Amino acid sequence: MSATKPAPGLSLLREPLREAGGEQMLAGLRTALSWLEANQQEINDLNVFPVPDGDTGSNMFLTLRSAVEEAQHAPTPSSVESVMAAAAHGSLMGARGNSGVILSQILRGFAQGVAGRQRIDAPGIAHALSEASTVAYRAVMKPTEGTILTVAREAARAAVAAVGETEDMRVVLERVVRESHTAVEHTIDQLQVLRDADVVDAGGYGLAVIFEGFSRAVSQADAPGPPPVQPRRAGEPPLRLPFGEGTGRGPAPVRRGAAAVAAREEGWGYCTEFLINGPGLDVDGIRTALAAIGESALVVGDPDLVRVHIHTGDPAALIALASQKGRLTKLKVEDMSAQHHDVLERADEDEARAAAPKELGVVTVASGDGFRDILKSLGADDVVPGGQTMNPSTEDLLNAVRATNAKAVILLPNNANVILTAEQVDQLAGECDVRVVPTRNVPQGVSALLAYDTTAGVDANCERMLSAIAAVRAVEVTRAVRDSTADGHDIKEGDVIAIVDDKITQVGDDYPGVLESVLAAESNAPELVTVYRGDSVTEADANTLVAALRDKHPRIEFEVHEGGQEHYPYVLSLE
Amino acid sequence: MIHIVTDSTSDITAAEAQTLGITLVPLVVRFGDDQYRDGVDLDADAFYNLLQNNSVHPTTSQPTPEQFVEVYRALLRDPDDAVVSMHISSKLSGTLASAHVAAKEFDSGRIHLVDTETVSAGLMLLVRASLQDVAAGKDAAAVAEMARKRSAKVTILVLLDTLTYLQRGGRIGRAQALVGSLLSVKPMLTMKAGEVAPMARVRNQRQGVDRIIAELKARLPLRGVAIFHARVPELIGELRDRVCATTGDAEVLLGRVGPVVGAYTGPGGIGVASLGVD
Repeated sequence: MSATKPAPGLSLLREPLREAGGEQMLAGLRTALSWLEANQQEINDLNVFPVPDGDTGSNMFLTLRSAVEEAQHAPTPSSVESVMAAAAHGSLMGARGNSGVILSQILRGFAQGVAGRQRIDAPGIAHALSEASTVAYRAVMKPTEGTILTVAREAARAAVAAVGETEDMRVVLERVVRESHTAVEHTIDQLQVLRDADVVDAGGYGLAVIFEGFSRAVSQADAPGPPPVQPRRAGEPPLRLPFGEGTGRGPAPVRRGAAAVAAREEGWGYCTEFLINGPGLDVDGIRTALAAIGESALVVGDPDLVRVHIHTGDPAALIALASQKGRLTKLKVEDMSAQHHDVLERADEDEARAAAPKELGVVTVASGDGFRDILKSLGADDVVPGGQTMNPSTEDLLNAVRATNAKAVILLPNNANVILTAEQVDQLAGECDVRVVPTRNVPQGVSALLAYDTTAGVDANCERMLSAIAAVRAVEVTRAVRDSTADGHDIKEGDVIAIVDDKITQVGDDYPGVLESVLAAESNAPELVTVYRGDSVTEADANTLVAALRDKHPRIEFEVHEGGQEHYPYVLSLE
Repeated sequence: MIHIVTDSTSDITAAEAQTLGITLVPLVVRFGDDQYRDGVDLDADAFYNLLQNNSVHPTTSQPTPEQFVEVYRALLRDPDDAVVSMHISSKLSGTLASAHVAAKEFDSGRIHLVDTETVSAGLMLLVRASLQDVAAGKDAAAVAEMARKRSAKVTILVLLDTLTYLQRGGRIGRAQALVGSLLSVKPMLTMKAGEVAPMARVRNQRQGVDRIIAELKARLPLRGVAIFHARVPELIGELRDRVCATTGDAEVLLGRVGPVVGAYTGPGGIGVASLGVD
């Protein structure tokens, strides 16, 4: 230990933190992830529409988790550049929903801002945050104030202002956290939809939470951080227990009182392997002890060396127990869901290589068996599960695109909150030319597929699909999940509402009444109405409802199909 | 003298053939054991009645080489007689193969075979254009060569009620891609390189007509348009008005889809063929 560096704990005054390395970046991201997870539900609840909607908190959490997973495998863990570049790539692969995609762009901008840096200082943080804000704004076609973008920009501004006064990264990051929360509070004044719903912007709040977690971990550089998210490599330091004691963390001062709690790792499942070095090992005793903690236990060896291969949800406990028996070597812990994914991907790739690539494929997104079957029957190569409340990740879409084994793929997101994710796929898809035809709902996706011509090229098909989706109007009917004011309607929980092309146009007491008002409000009567019933509607109920509509509108052709979608008992297309 | 020969899949009626001064070689359509010469023993109306009231699916067969030999022999009486024999795409029917066998019975250079790579209204437009070449004094080889070149300028747009007949008849080709939709859709077909190719799926006839008009617009200027239908006369008037409004000076002809072609399209189909200017 050098003489200029005081031993930890001897200094009562807080030393300024002048710089940080890759390890602190990783610790920051991990803590940010824990912070985000603890606040996930609260962020989800900041839903501006009275309908089940894309879960911003879950989307941001899954996006950041993907970033952390990859950051843990950064080629040079001590390098800020290396860790942040890996995080940026990981977040892009895992990006879900619009907030997730913007978060991935923030991380990408940050990574660009720290390019070439092994370590980072206060001006470096300010520069990286400024880059993050710039890149995020560029990613959105029409940037809106009062969103996550505003929070990113205000955070950068706070950092730039702070470095004029101090070299202490702690101070800079504290300002970032404070100003980002202030920006979050102001979002309600910037967006009418937020004012109507009386909430702050969910994505902006999520970003402030991330800054808060990040700031805490970086500032407390000498305190143990949260557990690794997905430790994989042999020879990593022993796993730390989640939020070990003595970290000195108080309750999280985030809005609405939620406090960070230990990151749960339920259901992840780790494949854990190591050697226990003897002498004097009791192989049978070890097997019995370890098997209690995991499954598929393989414990073999002799008193000098025991090989262990166990699947467990709690590798830390397993390793702690095993380390009491002898010295551990060749430690390897792998996330099995990730492995499973890798295996599937490899299988897909092998298959893809075996067959000659086709010219064009189509990948679309929907929830509901009926919708999936219809979209497949119209020629979609794959229907990625997802939609309104479960947004697929960039990687989900990328895998489906790769599995088509096509030189060009058209992506039909079928949801406004999936379009931005879909637009990230092309840059990751290598040689494959990925185009997005921005379908905002399944009826538009159906129209686009009807226009699909397998013998024409990708450009001609995109053009056709674009004009096809302009010719269809989509109606989504559901019950309001809470009281609110939206699109000029006073809505009570339980009201039936009809959303026509993303706007609430009709509010009423029952489905027949609301559907009747929708048809009555059309200035040009449609010729063909296709009714897709959701998973909560029986065939008989749907037929009764449509029979009544037929009686009133003898000139309109009606067709009823099973969509099987959640949350929306009826989805209609008007042509 | 140059004689134009075609086959009954041109959907030119016997009366029209006489007026035009051309010879039609009939294909054969069968319902079980009953056999009819296309357009000779069976006209369009009688055919659709049979189709609707018969559980047996009709089959068709190409003319025999003997039929062609007889036709060619009758036309090639004088030393300066020549035949330009223009037929249904060789990828849809063996008609041209029969004609080819027959032509070997005659001196080379007297019979000029043309694979038009089209059918029905498309074939009819090519035949009428060739008649104008003959009238303009071109020799038989030139007439045939111009017809071959012109066949690339023919487009056929077909709006069907169902693909069932095409599928049963084994002529569906790449339009197989349109089969299997769980939604009720009307398939639209075209011909590419002499084969049936899928064009689009539409939800109803109105959308199909809109699409046809849009396709015609994209092909202007046109020399001629022919609108053929398989028992949907009610649509034709309006369709003709819209086509005329779109194509300006082009000649617009109306007709019926006859028995052999109708065996594959089924009732309820509309076909619009267009021929671009030379």
